[in-house]
Amino acid sequence: MPLWTLRGLRRGVVTTRYPARPDPSAGLLPTPPAFRPGALTRDLAERLATVCPSRALARDGDVLVFDAGACTACGRCRAEAPEATASSGEFELAATARAHLIKRIPVRPA
Amino acid sequence: MTAIQPSVASRPGLNDLLTGFGPDAAGDGPVITVRVPVAGLEAAVRRIAAHPGARLADVFASAGGPVTLRLVWGLDADRRYLITESLIDGDSYPSLSAIAPAAFAEECEIYEQFGIRPADGRPLNRVALPPGAGPDWPRLGRAPAGPPAGVHAPHHVGGHAFEFPFGPVRQVAVESLYYGLVTSGEELVDLYLFTWHKHRGVEWRLRGLTPRDALFQVERTEGLGAVGNAWAFAAAAEAALGLQPPPRAMAARAIALELERLYNHAAATAALCQSTGLVIGQAAAEIALERLLRVNAAVFGHRYLFGVVDIGGTRAEPDLAALRSDLPGAYGELKRAADALMSTNSFLDRLEATGILAEEAARRLGLVGPVARATGLAADTRADHPAWPYGEFPLAVAVADTGDVLARFRVMLTEAAESVRLIGEIGGAAAGPGLALSPAAGPGRLAGSGLGWAESSRGESMAWVALDGSGRITRARLRPAAVRNWRGFDDACRSQNVFTDIPIIEASFWLTVAGTSR
Repeated sequence: MPLWTLRGLRRGVVTTRYPARPDPSAGLLPTPPAFRPGALTRDLAERLATVCPSRALARDGDVLVFDAGACTACGRCRAEAPEATASSGEFELAATARAHLIKRIPVRPA
Repeated sequence: MTAIQPSVASRPGLNDLLTGFGPDAAGDGPVITVRVPVAGLEAAVRRIAAHPGARLADVFASAGGPVTLRLVWGLDADRRYLITESLIDGDSYPSLSAIAPAAFAEECEIYEQFGIRPADGRPLNRVALPPGAGPDWPRLGRAPAGPPAGVHAPHHVGGHAFEFPFGPVRQVAVESLYYGLVTSGEELVDLYLFTWHKHRGVEWRLRGLTPRDALFQVERTEGLGAVGNAWAFAAAAEAALGLQPPPRAMAARAIALELERLYNHAAATAALCQSTGLVIGQAAAEIALERLLRVNAAVFGHRYLFGVVDIGGTRAEPDLAALRSDLPGAYGELKRAADALMSTNSFLDRLEATGILAEEAARRLGLVGPVARATGLAADTRADHPAWPYGEFPLAVAVADTGDVLARFRVMLTEAAESVRLIGEIGGAAAGPGLALSPAAGPGRLAGSGLGWAESSRGESMAWVALDGSGRITRARLRPAAVRNWRGFDDACRSQNVFTDIPIIEASFWLTVAGTSR
C-alpha cells in the first residue's frame, strides 16, 4: 500500500483550477443552444418545438420559449435549423430561481 | 452488426437441424428464420438446444391477431442466428424455461406485456413493469389476466436467515436497483433483484417512429452502451430496409465501438478499486477514464459517443489525427494503473475466488461478454458473427477460466489492449479519401423486418425491428447485453460470498439497470 501512496504523490495534482480558471476540456462539452432571433420564424419555431425531445422549446404566439432547465443539449434543434441556432458554449446554468432559466425569444411572423 | 462477410457454407450438423423445419428453412444468410407451429415448439426447442454451440440469445413477442412468439438462437459455431416464429392462438404456450432455463426472465416479461404465459402454470416474477401498473398501463400487448406473483416468486427463508432489503436508492449516482439479500448474518444465502424501478417503456415509445427518429431514443436507452445498442438497432433496421452501409461508415462504427469498450473497462476498473477501498487506485483509473472520455469527444464530438451511428451509415466522421495523438497517452494511463493493480496483493486477494460463476451456469443462462468469457466461453460476436471490418482484422478473443472477479478483470484488461490494437488497424482502413459515410441510394424498400447485433463492452447487444409499408416501426425489440447478464449476477453472488463481496461482484459485472429496465 505505501507504493500506492508514493505513486499518488508522484502523479501529482491532475485537477484543473476551475472555476478560478476555465477548464480546457469545456470546449468539447455539449451545451444548450443559442438562437438568432432574426432567423427565427413562426414556422421554424414550431418545428423546433416539435423536434425537441425534452420539451424545452415551445412557441407562444410570436415568441419562442426556451427552458434551459429542461434542455439536455442533445443538439437536435441545431441539426434541424443550423441557420437559426448555434451552440451557446454556456454550461454554467445555476440560477437562484427556476424562472431565470426560461428565456423568451421573439420570432418573426413569417 | 450487419453481417456483410461472405456467406459461410452450412455445416452438416446445421443442415440436419434445418431439415427438421421443412424445405424452406435452408439459407446462406447470417440469419435464418423458420416458422414453427406452437404444437411443435417444445420439440423444436429441445432439438435446437441440443445443437452443438447453440445458445438462446433472446425471446420476445409481437402483438397482432394472435401474438407472435420469437426465439433467437445464436448458433455461434455455424456463424448464424436462427429465429423461430410461432403464432400463439390462446393464452398459453409450452414452457420454454423447462427446457432452456435462460428463457425464464423473458417468460415473465412477456406475461406482463402480452398477457400470455407458459402452460406449466409456474409462478412468474415481476421483472418489467412496476407494481402499480394496472390494466390501462401502456403495454406492447394486452394486460395479463392477473398480476405476477407478488414482486418475486414465493420463497422460504428458513433457519436463522433473514432478508436484508437494500435499495432502490443507493449511494451517490448509482442507478435505482433493489437488492433482496437473504443472509444468516454475514454469508449470503440468496439474493434477488427488482429491476423495474427504472422502466421507461422505450420499446412502447418506439412504435410509430421511423428508424432514424427512433435511433435517438435507442442511443439513450443505456447511455454507457450508446454505440453498441445503436449499431445493433441500426443493423436491424438496415436488414429490414435492405440497406448496406459503406465500408468507411462501418470502420467509423467499429472505432467508436472499441472506444466505448475502452472507457467502460476503465470505468469498471475504477469501480473495482472503489469497491475494494483502494482509493488511490480508483483515482488512477478515473484519471484514465476522464482522458478516454476526452478522446471520445475529440474524435467523435461527444464524450459518450452519442450521435455517431446513423441508419445506413454514420453521422460523425472520426478525427483520426486526434485519435492518433490522444489515444496512446490515455490508454497508457489505464495500462499503468492496471499494471500497478495487478501487482497489489491486497487488491488481488479481494478479487480472487470472489463471485465465482461456472462455465456451465454461463452456458445454461445464455450469458454474454466478459462475464461469459471469464468462465471459459470464447463467445464474442466480433469473432463468431463478424461484420466488416472485424472479419478483416482478426480478433484474439480474451478468455479466462476461473470465473471469478479476478478472471473478469483480466479479461477486461486484455480486451482493452486488443481494442487499442484494433483501433490502430481499423483507423487505417477508415482513412480512405472520397469514401462515403452513408449509402448513395436510399432504402430499396420500406417494409420488412430484420435482426441486428453488435459486441458492446458488456457483450452481445441485439435488436429486432419490424417496419410497416410506410417505413414506421410496428415492433422494436431492444436486447442490450445487460438483459442477459443480470440473470447470472445472483448465481455469482451466492457462491459462498459475504455481504462486502457484493459491490465487488457488481463492479466486475459492470452492468446497467437502464439496459435491462427499458
